[in-house]
Amino acid sequence: MSKEEKKPFSQTMAEWRQFVYNPRSGEFLGRTAKSWGLILLFYLVFYGFLAALFTFTMWVLLQTLSGDIPKYRDRISSPGLMISPKPVTALEFYFNKSDSKSYAEYVSTLKQFLKSYDDSKQSKNIACTAGKLFEQNEDRAVKQACQFNRTMLGSCSGVEDDTFGYAKGTPCVLVKMNRIIGLKPEGEPHIQCSPKEEGKVQITYFPDGGTIDLMYFPYYGKNLHADYLQPLVAVQLAINSSSTKEDVTIECKIMGSPNLRNEDDRDKFLGRISFKVQMSE
Amino acid sequence: DEEEKYKDLKGNKKKSKKTDDLKKELDLVSVLWGGKGAAEILARDGPNALTPPKSTPEIIKFLKQMVGGFSILLWVGALLCWIAFGIQLAQGVASAFDNLYLGVVLALVVILTGIFAYYQEAKSTNIMASFSKMIPQQALVIRDGEKKEVPAEQLVVGDIVEIKGGDRIPADIRLIFSQGCKVDNSSLTGESEPQSRSCDFTHENPLETKNIAFYSTTCLEGTATGMVINTGDHTIIGRIASLASGVGNEKTPIAIEIEHFVHIVAGVAVSIGVLFFIIAVSMKYKVLDSIIFLIGIIVANVPEGLLATVTVSLSLTAKRMAKKNCLVKNLEAVETLGSTSIICSDKTGTLTQNRMTVAHLWFDDQIYSADTTQSFDQSSQSWATLSKIVTLCNRAEFKPGQENVPIMKRVVVGDASETALLKFAEVILGDVMGIRKRNRKLAEIPFNSTNKFQLSIHETEDPNDKRFLLVMKGAPERILERCSTIMINGEEQPLDRERAEAFQTAYMELGGLGERVLGFCHLYLPEDEFPDTYPFDTDSMNFPTSNLCFVGLLSMIDPPRSTVPDAVSKCRSAGIKVIMVTGDHPITAKAIAKSVGIISANSETVEDIAKRLNVPVEQVNKQDARAAVINGMELKDMTAEQLDEILINHSEIVFARTSPQQKLIIVEGCQRQDAVVAVTGDGVNDSPALKKADIGIAMGIAGSDAAKNAADMILLDDNFASIVTGVEEGRLIFDNLKKTIAYTLTKNIAELCPFLIYIIASIPLPIGTITILFIDLGTDIIPSVALAYEKAESDIMNRRPRHKKKDRLVNEQLAVYSYLQIGMLAFLAYFTVYAEQGWLPNTLLGLRVNWEDDYYNDIEDSYGQEWVKHLLHLTLVLYRSHNHLLYWFSCRNKVIWVGIFSQIAIALILCYGLGSVTALNFTPLRVQYWFVAMPYAILIWVYDEIRKLFIRQYPGSWWDKNMYY
Repeated sequence: MSKEEKKPFSQTMAEWRQFVYNPRSGEFLGRTAKSWGLILLFYLVFYGFLAALFTFTMWVLLQTLSGDIPKYRDRISSPGLMISPKPVTALEFYFNKSDSKSYAEYVSTLKQFLKSYDDSKQSKNIACTAGKLFEQNEDRAVKQACQFNRTMLGSCSGVEDDTFGYAKGTPCVLVKMNRIIGLKPEGEPHIQCSPKEEGKVQITYFPDGGTIDLMYFPYYGKNLHADYLQPLVAVQLAINSSSTKEDVTIECKIMGSPNLRNEDDRDKFLGRISFKVQMSE
Repeated sequence: DEEEKYKDLKGNKKKSKKTDDLKKELDLVSVLWGGKGAAEILARDGPNALTPPKSTPEIIKFLKQMVGGFSILLWVGALLCWIAFGIQLAQGVASAFDNLYLGVVLALVVILTGIFAYYQEAKSTNIMASFSKMIPQQALVIRDGEKKEVPAEQLVVGDIVEIKGGDRIPADIRLIFSQGCKVDNSSLTGESEPQSRSCDFTHENPLETKNIAFYSTTCLEGTATGMVINTGDHTIIGRIASLASGVGNEKTPIAIEIEHFVHIVAGVAVSIGVLFFIIAVSMKYKVLDSIIFLIGIIVANVPEGLLATVTVSLSLTAKRMAKKNCLVKNLEAVETLGSTSIICSDKTGTLTQNRMTVAHLWFDDQIYSADTTQSFDQSSQSWATLSKIVTLCNRAEFKPGQENVPIMKRVVVGDASETALLKFAEVILGDVMGIRKRNRKLAEIPFNSTNKFQLSIHETEDPNDKRFLLVMKGAPERILERCSTIMINGEEQPLDRERAEAFQTAYMELGGLGERVLGFCHLYLPEDEFPDTYPFDTDSMNFPTSNLCFVGLLSMIDPPRSTVPDAVSKCRSAGIKVIMVTGDHPITAKAIAKSVGIISANSETVEDIAKRLNVPVEQVNKQDARAAVINGMELKDMTAEQLDEILINHSEIVFARTSPQQKLIIVEGCQRQDAVVAVTGDGVNDSPALKKADIGIAMGIAGSDAAKNAADMILLDDNFASIVTGVEEGRLIFDNLKKTIAYTLTKNIAELCPFLIYIIASIPLPIGTITILFIDLGTDIIPSVALAYEKAESDIMNRRPRHKKKDRLVNEQLAVYSYLQIGMLAFLAYFTVYAEQGWLPNTLLGLRVNWEDDYYNDIEDSYGQEWVKHLLHLTLVLYRSHNHLLYWFSCRNKVIWVGIFSQIAIALILCYGLGSVTALNFTPLRVQYWFVAMPYAILIWVYDEIRKLFIRQYPGSWWDKNMYY
């Protein structure tokens, strides 16, 4: 008695059809044309207003921001390390030194990356005093950049060996420190890499000792410091022939500077990086 | 088929048993007396107890909580998460474990909310469990030729049982011996008067015949012996109870509303999810990623905490109502009362006090009100005479030891009308027992249904007056027949035609008020004929019982409770129709209906109009009559359409002389009008209707167990006025649930938008799925519950009840409001934070791919800085801040502060305390970000106020129709 009767399917369909278009009242989806018009108009106006308001507020917000430096820099106090080339999947290099195709990607990335470090392009930058921060006057509208010549990367510069050592089985990997506006490293920062298992790899640094010279700091931002090039450290790996066909894990850290963190628990890229190399012949 | 069941119930001619049947019964008896065990029959018929209604096993209840509402959606989400985890793990993706955690969290959410809901439900069920405990009843039975006490449960057909005053009848029995036996059938038939029981078969209908006493009714006085003819579920009560259990449990309106809400939200969630899944796939996202988006969208859309919030809000209200003497059995019933549009109220015990009281007196040709606050003319000699008869011709007595109890509250041994007379006399004269002692009773004939009078003979207290006083009371017309004179102003005058007519007028008038009228007369027996030693013999009646002197009339009524008229008028102004449904006589019913305002003073029934215009009833236009009094007999012949017509055409309706089945029909009729029907009742006869009603309200004190079992709510003080409080609370909770839902849904869109824009514009994901869960369940529950404490709007009891099909909890407007109007502004905060940290909006667009690459650790911002992955997941509190303020403005109760502080505290704990838990991605925030969206919150609030203002200013306008929710 209390149970509701199941409506037959045809009736349900008819009700739906009625809902989609009701010929008697001229209602389409429960509203007449006029009603639809009104409600759409209302929401058009309403959203028009909201969108305008949103745009306006965003505009006001952008006006309050300087084009040169971000308003807050508290969340980015210590730089991360990154390598170039960056393998597509994870940080793992797989190549066969006798197969040029297997490392073509890495080589071209490196070439592309180092283009802006060409000595010819560096000539417009000034030579700075090594070992000293290069702080510039605030009223200087365009900041000067210090030279970092590609040739400083020695056999990893690609000048003599355009395969960056990959063909010889001594691949080069560039380690760079992330740019952070106003960062002034203390002490004598340098990159130090070590394989996880001792003795598998010999590592050569360019420039010597993996030094990152203080003269490249501080950075003033892309707008003011358009010519700025961040210092690089090239690491050339000479993998022992006994260790080929095996994974070699290399960890690089920034050392020698008390204000550059390299042991953060939450972020394993803050001041350090590790990557794998597997070379076959 | 229930129709038939009932017919069977009525047409069961138990009394007119044919000889065969009787013989069978005799066989049975002989079997029993012959020593064969009653055990055999007991095994055949089962114990003499009502089968309790089937209860759902606890585990099923628990599982239901686990799959109800949004749970299924979340289970699917969790399952997809685990599948994604499995696939990603196999592929060696580093972030695979995020999905495992998410799946676990989702499952936990479902299980915890399920346990919570189950616990809440179990708690409210436990309250009821205490009610159903009953003391095992004993019955005095003659079995195997000897008298013994057995538990009533073991009675079988054929047992001979003895009952006496005060006993509960242990089974349906046919009396074979009766001495002054009276039973209270009110719980079965609703008749408030005691029914006398004898061995005579007086009616075909078992409910009407005098020689059957029913299971679970009480024997008020006298003794009787009877044979058990039905036990357990076969008894009349058992059949009514099974009628009740056959009535399906309707879904409560709020359950329907919540289901509707769940459907809407789930529909939106799934369709947006699937839509964006398709978009994502066609945008060349990996299928696995798209599935994870899908989960994110669903989680963002589903208000996980809402159902728990609703449960808590309802139980808070239930607690509040319990304080006001409304005990709610079923949590959802809290709201049902608020949407009630028709109350079908039982009369006896609910509207009235179920206590006979003297209402009027008639002597000296004049009607006096017996209202004890205003005295009437007590100087008349006639009153002195009448009061003496009232005092003496009465067998009721106060139970001893009640000297300090107010008279009206003292416990009396005796039937309802004698009690009324005793109390009346005690109030006016005082020391009734003393008067009786001084006027020693010599002989007495108790009231019986054949002679319809009660008589006693007393010595007088005047030592000089040696005459005996014969006093008599009874049905007025019978008393008048026995009188030849009438007392006017203390003088005996002949009872001529004129006097007789005056009597008739008074009798009719009092009867018309629905009052039970008794006539009183007396006679001083002449001293010479009846000397001191005269042996009065009540059997041979060796004294005069005619040519007496008529003294006066007294009328009694079961008066309405004092709070009822006010409550009825409050219901009226709240748009609730109050219908009286009673088993009592139409005249009494109508009189009570008039005095409590169910029929208002200036309303007329069709019969009234006919009488006033002096035309036949048929000629009266039915539309003219506001009120209607429908007799159960008329109702029986009505079609459903005719009943509908009555329910629609008349606003003030009284149904009298109704049977349990008819009550059910009336409730169904009301429900056909799309009304939400509340039924109040106390008797077993009410239980089917209580069950059928959208909300059944049983009386806590007078109510029978059957009624309490069938009801959803119990009035602990039996006071109809408590219903009004309940209605108010119910409406309030509905309003507040709306606020809760609007609050929850606006947050939903704030959680959903980032996901959608994240997929389409490839901006970094501002808020993670687990973060969403933390917001929904961590910070938001307490503020949502605080909304349950919101005060009622001033007009809450002056609006019409909501229409259950039109005024939905969540309607199009509310959904549009929450989904579209408010949510998008949350993005402002997002862009602000990022821009101020160095990521201008244009940089953010399309950033997602690099952002999500685990090994891409030199992402360049708008200023040339390079960032490692571990970055800003700082939107948690941001999304809250604008909501906070909105919430702040929309709430005006004190509990809100608890809500706000708890929210801030939990947010702080999450941000700063759990900031180091990697899986959660919470990061501490700059304080000013908490206020970024504040101007917008103010703007939204202003908009909302303007919206409401227009709705109030222009009711019925386009704005009202489209913007009200």
